[in-house]
Formats: sequence, C-alpha cells, structure tokens
Amino acid sequence: MTSSGVPVLSLQDLAVHFPVGRRAVVKAVDGVSFDVMRSEVFGLIGESGSGKSTVGRAALSITAPTAGAVLQEGVNPQSLSRSQFRKHRQRYQMVFQDPHGSLNPRMTVMQSIAEPIVEMDALDPGKRRARVLALLDCVGLAPAFADRYPHQLSGGQKQRVNIARALASDPKLIVCDEAVAALDVSVQAGILNLLLTLQKDLGLTYLFITHDIGVVSHISDRLGVMYLGKMVEIGPTEEVEERPLHPYTKALLASEPGARRAGDGEGAVLEGEIPSAISPPSGCRFRTRCRFAVDKCVTVEPPWREVEQGRFVACHLV
Amino acid sequence: MNVDQIAGRNGSGVGERPILSVSDLCVRLGGVDLVKDVAFDINPKEIVGLVGESGSGKTLTGLSLLRLLPGRSLSGSGRVLLHGDDLFTLSDTQLRKVRGRKISMIFQEPMTALDPVFSVGRQISETIQAHMKYSARQAKALATEALADVGIPSPHLRFDAYPHELSGGMRQRVMIAMALVCEPSLLIADEPTTALDVTIQAQIMDLILAKCARQGAALLLITHDLGVVSSYCSRVITMYAGEVVEDSPVEMSMRRPLHPYTSGLLRSAPRLSPRKSMLPVIRGRVPGASEMPAGCRFAPRCDFRSDPCGREQSISVYDVRRVRCWKHEELKLSGVK
Repeated sequence: MTSSGVPVLSLQDLAVHFPVGRRAVVKAVDGVSFDVMRSEVFGLIGESGSGKSTVGRAALSITAPTAGAVLQEGVNPQSLSRSQFRKHRQRYQMVFQDPHGSLNPRMTVMQSIAEPIVEMDALDPGKRRARVLALLDCVGLAPAFADRYPHQLSGGQKQRVNIARALASDPKLIVCDEAVAALDVSVQAGILNLLLTLQKDLGLTYLFITHDIGVVSHISDRLGVMYLGKMVEIGPTEEVEERPLHPYTKALLASEPGARRAGDGEGAVLEGEIPSAISPPSGCRFRTRCRFAVDKCVTVEPPWREVEQGRFVACHLV
Repeated sequence: MNVDQIAGRNGSGVGERPILSVSDLCVRLGGVDLVKDVAFDINPKEIVGLVGESGSGKTLTGLSLLRLLPGRSLSGSGRVLLHGDDLFTLSDTQLRKVRGRKISMIFQEPMTALDPVFSVGRQISETIQAHMKYSARQAKALATEALADVGIPSPHLRFDAYPHELSGGMRQRVMIAMALVCEPSLLIADEPTTALDVTIQAQIMDLILAKCARQGAALLLITHDLGVVSSYCSRVITMYAGEVVEDSPVEMSMRRPLHPYTSGLLRSAPRLSPRKSMLPVIRGRVPGASEMPAGCRFAPRCDFRSDPCGREQSISVYDVRRVRCWKHEELKLSGVK
C-alpha cells in the first residue's frame, strides 16, 4: 500500500501559533518543513522553547496547524471525516516522557495496551488477549505483567508498556517525545535497545524528539535542529555531528557535557538565553546569541536552502 | 583508616589536611540503611563528583553532610569532620554558623530553594548579615556585587526582583551568588544543571567552577551525568544502593573502572557506543530499600558474581583508589577511553 516515495510524514511550511492574552501571539513553530520517510528515524533536537514538542504534537494532529500543512502518507488528516479520522489517527502514535503519567492508574497493563485495538475495532474480543501477550513479549515483558497495575511497575517497565501500547495499532509513525529522558542511564540503555530492535524488525518509523545529543546521535538517521520555532539545520546525523554548519548547531554540540573540558574558555559557551517567542528577534532568530552575526542577519531572514546533497541550513554565512 | 592513607597519596600534596572528612555515615529509615558506611575525604580546592542513579543515596549523602535530612523518620549517624569539627555533634546554633559560611549547598530546582516572597537581593543580604558584621547598606552593596559577579545583567534592578521573575538559568545564578557570597571552603552542588538546557548548563557549570577556583573553595558535585563528571571533576565517587562502590581519579575510573557497576554505568551511555548498536545493559534493577540483598548489594545484577559475593564487602584500598569488590584485581573491566 505504501509506496516508498510517499513520506510517512510531511510537514510543509508548518506554523503553530498560540494566542496569549489579548494581543500577543506565541509563535511556537513558524515555517517548518521536512519529510520523514518510511523506516527512518528522524531526530529532532532543540532546547526548551524551540518548538520541537509542538512539531511532534502537530505531526499527530493533537495540535492543529495555524498555517501550512501536515500530511500523513499524503493524507491531510484535517480533510477526513470524524469517524475516518478516529481510525486514521490510531496509526500515528506517541510515547511520552513521563512513563507514569501516560498510563491510567486504574487500568491493568492488559487494558491499557488493548485500548487502541478496541478503538480501531481491529480484533474480536477473544483474540485481543493473545495480541496483547504477543505485544508484551515484543517489548520484553513476561505475560504475568498483563494483569498488573502501573504502580506495580518500575519506570523502565512502564515505558515498555507505553511502547507496547503504541505498537498495538500497527503504527505507521511513532513520535517519541523525550521518551527516555526521565530514565536512569542503565534503564535508558535498555529502552533505546528496544526501540532500535523494534525499528529494525518491524521497519518502524520514528520522529525522535529530545534535548539529549548523545541519545539522538545514537538512534537517528537524520537530524533536525530547531531554535526558537525555526528549523536551523537538517542533515544526516553523522555528517551534522562531524561537521555542523549552523553556528547554533556548533554551539549545541560543543555544550554537551563530556564534549567539554573544564576551562575550555568562554568562547565555547553560548552566551545569553533563548529570547521570547512572543517577540522573536528580527531577521535571523539566533543572531542575538551568535558570535558571527553581521548586519544582514538583523534585517534579512536567512532562507532555508540545500547547501549540499541532503544538507539544509538557514544561515547567511554558510 | 584507609581514607587517610588515600588523602596522603592523592597527589594534592602530602601534609595537606582534608577540609571534609566523612566516615561511617549512615542514613536510616525504619530499620533500613538507605546510606551505609559512607566514607570519603575532600581536600582543599578539590573537585569531586558523586555519581549514582536514582536511589543510590547520593542526594541523602549530600543532605546529611549539612544535617538537612528531611522529616523525623530519617536519621543520620557517623562523623562529618569539617576542618576538624564534627558537624554531627554541633548544637543548632553552632550549626547555623557553619551552614552558608563554611559549607554551602545548591540544589537542582532553584525555584523551590529560593523563598518566593522575598526579593532575591534581600535573600542574599540576609545570608550576609547572618554571618558577617555588615550593616544593611554594606550588605546590600555586597549582594549587588555578588549578583553582578555571577553574570546577572543590571544587578541593581535585579536586586529587587522576585524569583518568579527570573528564568531558570538566572535563578540558578542567584543560588550560586547566595551560596558563595560568604566564601565557604566547600560547596555541595546537587544536580545544579539537570533542570537546565544544555547551553545554559555549560554556562552554569563554567560559572560554578570559575567562582570556586577564584575563592579557593572545594566542590562536591552530585550528579547522575557521567559526561559532567568527566568534563569537570578530578575525582569521582560512585555510589550504588546506598554504598560507595568506587572512589577513583576520574581518568582512571573512565579508562579502567574497578567495580563492575562503574563499568556497566560507563558503558551504557549511548554516546560511547557505535551508532545504532545495541548498548551494554546492566540487567535487573536497583533494589528497593526493603529488598537489599545481603553481602554485595550489586551481586544480583553482576555478571561476575560468585559465592564470596554473598559475604559483606568491605571497601579496600588499591593504589590511590578505593573499591568495594573483593574480585577487583582479577577482573579486567572495560572502560570507555
């Protein structure tokens, strides 16, 4: 059914604005375009306030776009009827940061995982249990977990249940929004292994949103870097990491603990803080913190362009 | 015993007395040891990392050094010598003179550590006047200077700002100003940058290090982030399930860890494995307080365990390092560098 040419997710000049107070508008996402292809892991990185989570929510039609379009396998979910949309959206799933908050405390693991199956009327009730047990096996949990409640599970186990639930509807896309951020390193390693194994075995597609450079560079094929509602750079993960083009990407990579040494000098650290998304700087939004900013950056917004095969960047100076 | 030997051999100079010497530190809840037999020294100006995952007891250790354990059900015991004075035997009045003056602490979430109903300037002035004979005016001048010193723009205006009016990074700067304004000889920083974005995190860590270096303060950096430790610390103490399992110079610990838990923790970081490869995982999970195994607490998860691991493990000295594993000499564990 899926031709390899149609992206699983296509964001076209996506903008999401939220009104605050009477006049002001927060431009959480402002003109972002990228495609996620089938069986690809697209990593989306940025700091708080960069708009990365809003992109994830818009990608799943949880938040409606203010302008631009979100296409899921070429289909605009907003054009679907209510009942069509209800079934359609089950194929686009999300795994959240807080494994506990995303499970209903009054449902057993069985009930939580079966919910999307029930919602899709995909299986008759007799077969649901078998399906849930198969899913539990997929995520490395014993059948005995089916009848437990969330409070009886550890954080890592809960996140496994969340992943099983996301898998239940045979999803075309899973958005992982900081899915391993709340976990300890040793638990995090297990969940990353699980996500990678599932992706290889089932050919899954992930939009992987995180602030953690180590995590994103481990799991993703391509990497998008966001700053203050704009995409600043996209490229194959390895290339971006080895040779970042945008000054913000450079600063971000250099700030990572472990990449730094005590007394690296002030130059390596980005000064100042992310400006308000209500009144972002004119021209290039990064210019207020950029060491290389010139007059043009103040007046002209840098265009989004492909500077090399597969490498996109928005900066006048590249 | 062994702690003193270490301090002598630690390169930071023979004859230099540790400013902080902790021994037999225990924190109990009911009949359970949440922190057990913790012992370590910190030398003047030394930057020491205290790492562990949730439940390892690293935060309780930090809090108990200042006798800040929450609630009545938690009880701490042991010896915490600061410049030779045992903090555990001081009266409340004496203790108040030490906190903020000789030893200070900053926390992960500055919003909850700052008082929301007083301006940040007033909170810093209060600290100054509690410890030094300064007039209100002098205190205000010093507090403003302290704000400027931690990189807060227009400190005269910010003096009157309330915590909610500042960003997370700015609040942490205020906390640092307050903690260091009386020039303590030791700063305990408990996950000071965990709640902050990476670029801000780098700014704050640089600030903490620069301030400590300028004032000659030692730093105990409590964190779960081995990247932070490898970048900034000279020595790292690793805790697991309430016990110190390893205490080593950072380079040595990274290259050749002595304890299987340290090795597992280092190797599970995604940064250090090839892209998309399966990460080495420590199987099982951290035991809950009520289910601590007898003997080595890590044994149920350890790939190298054998019968003697069921016995109580004492910490042993190995060159300039300490480790709580009887097998450490025969294990050739892999590290990351």
